[in-house]
Amino acid sequence: MPLIDILNKDIIDLNVQGNTKDEVLRYMANVLLNNGYINDAEVFVKDIYEREAEGPTGMGSHISIPHGKSFSVLKNGIMIGKTVNPIRWESSMSDDGFQDTHLIFLFCVSADAEFARNHMMLLSELAGKLGNDVRVAKLSKAQSKEEIMDLILCEDDQLGEAEVLEEEEIVDLDIDL
Amino acid sequence: MKIVAVTACTAGIAHTYIVAEKLQKAAEELGHDIKVETQGSAGIENELTAEDIANADVVIYTHDIAIRGANRFAGKKIVDVPISTAMKQPKSLISTIEKKLAAK
Repeated sequence: MPLIDILNKDIIDLNVQGNTKDEVLRYMANVLLNNGYINDAEVFVKDIYEREAEGPTGMGSHISIPHGKSFSVLKNGIMIGKTVNPIRWESSMSDDGFQDTHLIFLFCVSADAEFARNHMMLLSELAGKLGNDVRVAKLSKAQSKEEIMDLILCEDDQLGEAEVLEEEEIVDLDIDL
Repeated sequence: MKIVAVTACTAGIAHTYIVAEKLQKAAEELGHDIKVETQGSAGIENELTAEDIANADVVIYTHDIAIRGANRFAGKKIVDVPISTAMKQPKSLISTIEKKLAAK
């Protein structure tokens, strides 16, 4: 199954409303509910928060990747939301532990392991694509659903150039070897 | 240097795979060979073979939950870091390992 099968324009929303993380998560859960991806927005949001409690899901470049496994999920997928307002979000990338998020990839994954497995291959492929800094920089500036989908679907060598927002400075880390 | 790595995050949905890609890119950019095994919700992918492990100069564990099959790496030089380190500073991680190996 190709990656495009997991993307769905109906759950890409370029006008996600809300001023807080909670408001945007609830807004996005409702979009998933209305599109038949989940059967209970309350349960879904609660399960997302369970994962949030384990560590930050802000990944820099104004992008966040909340996710969780939930029995409320009827269909695995990924909701992509561009927020109207900057949303303060826990981040693994910044020194103060927070970032302003504009773009959200909300992974919608069934807690039923067998059921989830097929789609997990696609979702994991999609997640891997977010490990590319140029793609992430371009996604953070994308203005249309088509542009977002193209950036996800294209190969790394088709990405071209982009100014990476948070270029890593190479330093010595305190690690044991 | 030749690197093998294993990634595993708590939910096994996103960070496992993002970090695998970041390590791959960082190692290539710094001129090293790398193979990254992901242990996530999709199962174990890109599994390291006995030969991969035997040929590796160093093993990187980047994880928030226990690594499956850790006995495969007995006797190897292992660097053990949380997912967040490889998420934030993949190049620094690899360049620090390179320096430390050279100093041994």
